[in-house]
Amino acid sequence: MALLLNDDEEQFRDSVRRFVTERSPLSKLRELMSSGQPFDADTWKQLSDLGLPGLIIPAEHGGAEAGYGVLTVALTELGGGLVPSPLLAGTLAAGTLLRLGDQQARDQLLPGIASGELIATLAAGGAGTVRAENGTLSGEITPVLNAAQAEVLLVPAADGATTVLYEVAVSAPGVEITPLPSLDHSRSLGRVRLSAASGRRLDGDAGAALEFAADLADLAIAAEQLGGMAACLAMTAEYAKIRLAFGRPIGSFQGVKHRLAQLHTSWELAHAALRDAARAADERPARFPRAASVARIAVSASYVDAALATVQLHGGIGFTWEHDAHLFHKNAISQHALFGGPGQQLDRLTAQLASAAG
Amino acid sequence: MSEISITDFRNRARAWLEEHAPRRGGGAGPGEAGPADLAAQKAFQASLYDAGFAGLTWPREYGGQGLTHAEQIAFSQQARDFALPVGAFVIGLGMPGPTILELGSEQQKKRYLPKMLRGEEIWCQLFSEPSGGSDVAALITTAVRDDDGWVLNGQKVWTSGAQYSDFGAVIARTDPTVPKHNGITMFIVDMHAPGVTVRPLKVATGAAPFNEVFFDQVRLPADAVIGEVNDGWRAAVVMLRNERVAIGTMAGPRTSPLSYDSLSGLADRLGTSADTGLQRQLAELYVRERSVQLFGQQLREEAMAGRDPGPRGSVAKLAGAELAIFASLVAADVLGPAAAGSDSRDVRAVLTAMIAAPGGSIAGGTNEIQRNIIGERVLGLPKDPGADRGTPFNQLRVGTLRKN
Repeated sequence: MALLLNDDEEQFRDSVRRFVTERSPLSKLRELMSSGQPFDADTWKQLSDLGLPGLIIPAEHGGAEAGYGVLTVALTELGGGLVPSPLLAGTLAAGTLLRLGDQQARDQLLPGIASGELIATLAAGGAGTVRAENGTLSGEITPVLNAAQAEVLLVPAADGATTVLYEVAVSAPGVEITPLPSLDHSRSLGRVRLSAASGRRLDGDAGAALEFAADLADLAIAAEQLGGMAACLAMTAEYAKIRLAFGRPIGSFQGVKHRLAQLHTSWELAHAALRDAARAADERPARFPRAASVARIAVSASYVDAALATVQLHGGIGFTWEHDAHLFHKNAISQHALFGGPGQQLDRLTAQLASAAG
Repeated sequence: MSEISITDFRNRARAWLEEHAPRRGGGAGPGEAGPADLAAQKAFQASLYDAGFAGLTWPREYGGQGLTHAEQIAFSQQARDFALPVGAFVIGLGMPGPTILELGSEQQKKRYLPKMLRGEEIWCQLFSEPSGGSDVAALITTAVRDDDGWVLNGQKVWTSGAQYSDFGAVIARTDPTVPKHNGITMFIVDMHAPGVTVRPLKVATGAAPFNEVFFDQVRLPADAVIGEVNDGWRAAVVMLRNERVAIGTMAGPRTSPLSYDSLSGLADRLGTSADTGLQRQLAELYVRERSVQLFGQQLREEAMAGRDPGPRGSVAKLAGAELAIFASLVAADVLGPAAAGSDSRDVRAVLTAMIAAPGGSIAGGTNEIQRNIIGERVLGLPKDPGADRGTPFNQLRVGTLRKN
């Protein structure tokens, strides 16, 4: 039963789903949009109490060691509710450290990430480069997840022809972080500018760790996208049942029905691909990179389609500020661009397919 | 059923297949079923039956093995590595067989099912008509009561295997004065009876994998009715659902000329593989192919866990049909100018597959029909208020309007 949810995953899905419905409905996101807060501190505390920041972190470092299957289930539910949090940032930072093998960084950073008390972020996934010279870093990376809330940055840099990773405290001299207006109201992004900033160079194979982080980003973002897409479909199918035009529910018109059926079909395929990728991450790591690419590509553009259909099939009301459709449309566009846009996603898979064949 | 006995069953199946069945890709495939090939298929099916691997989930009293879906899936998984020469029986065992099992009389089950399982009698399914297409229930073939039986008149189309079938499951109109779904009856027809004519139907690729079947005053006995008179639509729905799940969850052969593996290999040989645009299209093809495969696997796992895939078979069928169309478009880019004409065998095989690609989006219910099913039965959207509902069939317009 490689693709079906196991009991742990089902149970976890139900509790995160209940949490989203009860504690973090979309009205909460609206409050944050008004107040300008990047995420709700209480919500993050409660998510941390559920163990979410430490799902992939080993018990020896204070994590739940629950695995990638459980992680994707949780991210799908949070993605469906557009719950703002630094979970993705922390998960990618933790994944990088787990693969890197710098014992000191693991001991110092992972327990804080696992408990939700330390916000760390991987300064990657956008544009820009950083150079390492004489032990200091210079350059710019943008956009970076939760840059303005993070205490610790993991910064990939080029030292000559070698890729290296640095741990940089945001309070260090030469570190300048600027919050960016982000399209997606549920995502907080910032620009990181480094001018001869100092940090600690981390031990281990930075190239391999960053490859893994990119695979993990594909998996995690695909999970969130799948949740967002499911929410769009549910919202729009529900509306199509009750909205009348020309004397009948609009969902009885094939123009509407077929578009939703098509999107549902894409969702089912992407869901199967995500389950496969999560299973690979947990049980067959050699298959993980390719499976993660497949899962991300299967959902990424389809979610944008679903979000567009959500705005459009609701008609005029779907285009108003008060309606939730634009929240998903913005999330879908942003998610399609972060950590590899459409062209990059396909090029990455091409390289993976070629290396497996060769 | 315990894990141990499944493992044991799987090992027995594997051992039998290794000894008796040809490996996949080891030469001639199922082929066009000439008389010699048909005899070989019948012999193989008989040995499959005698070894206890036919009709795994069918009851023992009708020749089956009385096992569960778990054994069925275990066997199918093992069989995937072999080219089982059983093509002629796929339709009978997949559609009319389960329908007779569910709705047939005791006498019908005893008479027909064991011989069907043992490959002694071949069956076909006679649903589609030139006037109907996806609107199967608009059929105009009639069966009229006569003495103690019926007389069948009309035409069926797209009938696979009719040229070598012994029996067929046919649906015909038995009451034109009621709405279309309420006046249909399903019958067993003897394909060797006087008045049955079978003609090959040549399709767009130039091959003739289907037939047209004509019925001219064909007499049917009273006990030929499957289920109840005028309740044939229910039987047809049972059969169509079996068909869709069968098509949707079929593990497609890796060797299709339109698969990612074939097309990327061909791109390498033709020297078109360095183009970034083409590479991206091939990567997308890989994603679609893989996710369709995985969804099929998921449906099989759900069935194994005892969950009915229900209308989600339509998701698999639609996705598979669209994959073939997409692959045919990528193939055109891979071929470049060779798509217009070539004497290479590889290229000709791809071109034939490209021309065959739309077939999957028509057969077994068009993509539009699948989208209706997904919309209505998976998403719960309201039905289209069809003009045909509630109207007696003899007051409906069917077929094609004459051009002005």
